[in-house]
Amino acid sequence: MRRRLQIVAGAALALAVCAVPVGAYLKLGTRVGTRTESLRWRQFPIRYFVTDASVPGVTSQQFQGAVTRAFTTWQAVENTETSSTFVGFVQARPFVEDGANVIGYLSQPGQDRTLAATTFTVDETDGRILESDIYFNTIFPWSTSEAGGADRYDVESIALHEIGHLLGLSHSALGESELTGGGRRVIAAESVMFPIAFTRGNISDRELRADDIAGISDIYGTTTFSREFGSISGRVTKSGSGVQGAHVVAFNPRSGALVGGFTLNENGDFVIAGLEPGPHVLRAEPLDDGDTNSFFDDDFDVDVDFRVAFYEKVVAVPRGGGARNVEIKVLPK
Amino acid sequence: MTAAALRRRACAIAALSVGMLVVAGEQAAAQVPAPMPARPARFEVGGGGIFVGGYDLGTSTAELTPNGGTSNSFTLFTTDNEVRPVFGLQARIGVLLSSALVVEAGLRFARPVYEVRASGDTEGAPATTIEDTMSQYVFDGSVVWTPGNPYRRLSPFVFGGAGYLRELHEEDALVDDGFEYHAGAGVRWWFGEGARGLGLRAEGGFSIRDGGFDFEDGMRLVPIASGTLVYRF
Repeated sequence: MRRRLQIVAGAALALAVCAVPVGAYLKLGTRVGTRTESLRWRQFPIRYFVTDASVPGVTSQQFQGAVTRAFTTWQAVENTETSSTFVGFVQARPFVEDGANVIGYLSQPGQDRTLAATTFTVDETDGRILESDIYFNTIFPWSTSEAGGADRYDVESIALHEIGHLLGLSHSALGESELTGGGRRVIAAESVMFPIAFTRGNISDRELRADDIAGISDIYGTTTFSREFGSISGRVTKSGSGVQGAHVVAFNPRSGALVGGFTLNENGDFVIAGLEPGPHVLRAEPLDDGDTNSFFDDDFDVDVDFRVAFYEKVVAVPRGGGARNVEIKVLPK
Repeated sequence: MTAAALRRRACAIAALSVGMLVVAGEQAAAQVPAPMPARPARFEVGGGGIFVGGYDLGTSTAELTPNGGTSNSFTLFTTDNEVRPVFGLQARIGVLLSSALVVEAGLRFARPVYEVRASGDTEGAPATTIEDTMSQYVFDGSVVWTPGNPYRRLSPFVFGGAGYLRELHEEDALVDDGFEYHAGAGVRWWFGEGARGLGLRAEGGFSIRDGGFDFEDGMRLVPIASGTLVYRF
């Protein structure tokens, strides 16, 4: 059974994620009966086409070069198995279910806070991704300048985010934002998959962070990854009951790595995988740095009525195993 | 010379003579070794307590990449990290290669606490001190040398050696290992004569650790001290 899903990354405000979250970072998933299957590619290389079109300041060749660099960045993550091939330029536009993975521009004036978006066609029986398209909204100014274009959004940075979706990752909440007149502005983030893009001219998101690497490794990790990295699982509770939709951050004070995850059910259960072995400090916070529908379906109730708290113990993540039964107790606001 | 003066001189000579006798007696005593046991001891075993110093692991910053440039960092929170000093246990068994030289193997065990103080949270989480208790094992070999007369009841010694360091975090979830090198000095005090039987041993020194639980590559130095009950036979 095929189903079309749409993932959207916004410039200042993120819109819908029409998929089921299945773990940390988040990963995208689809429900199969009572279980949830992660969305993932089963066949590599991913063959993609680029629409042969230009926008002011960016030729189609420059655009394709930036997209290819973004694919290469994801493929360079150690202990993962993904690959891609640029097939060629086409006249086809993205967001058409035609069996081809097309990346290109679309003019979407109605989505004035959406820089770019990714859609999928998936096999709902097993979560296999059959097709994925990415569009970049031409109502915004774009740049592929090596140093970043003044007052323009960086194609490579946004492509890195969208290709993260294309590979099966959803949004990360590892960032801080503030409300502005028309939406939200990111103050700082430590994940390319944070739903709100950095401001124009910023090229910081050309590099993956620990959170992104943990996420992609969790989906496409090799046996070496499984053997060398570990996980933390547990619950976030408030007055003895589970907290749904809490953002849990694992901080490794040895390396400085930050990896985030969420509690994904009413029991407050969470799993953060892809962690370096070593001591970790856990911190739970309400999901208040983005609209909750940037992360979850509209029918997913997110509890934001609690105070930020640290877990009372240091959690030692084992190599190739999991630290379990962690309970982070939070207090109501 | 008056009679009084003669008495003073005689007293002075007597005092000097006594003094010389005392000195001569001390020299004679020094030349005679402490009584040797009928059969030299071959082994030394011991067990007791050990103190292992703590060490600072510095400050770690949970940092986000700021929007609008890289000049200013954005700190989510910081942690101050240290391993606290700890008292533990040790057991040693040694073979006497000579009356002055002992080769020994030992096991030291301690449960140091790794302490993290998380503070400065950008969203106001209260500062919190959190901990992880490790099980620390050192399997080592040492050479202990007693200079001078090894049969004295109170005999100083120096020691040095190396070992394997193994640290298990809580619930044995994580293993850090490495090497340990140690050196120091101490004294033994035997309850009986002949440097055998029961005695006490006190020592202090330093332990250089390469590996184990640390946030940086390289070696670190921690003070060590111990007191043990020993039995030589």
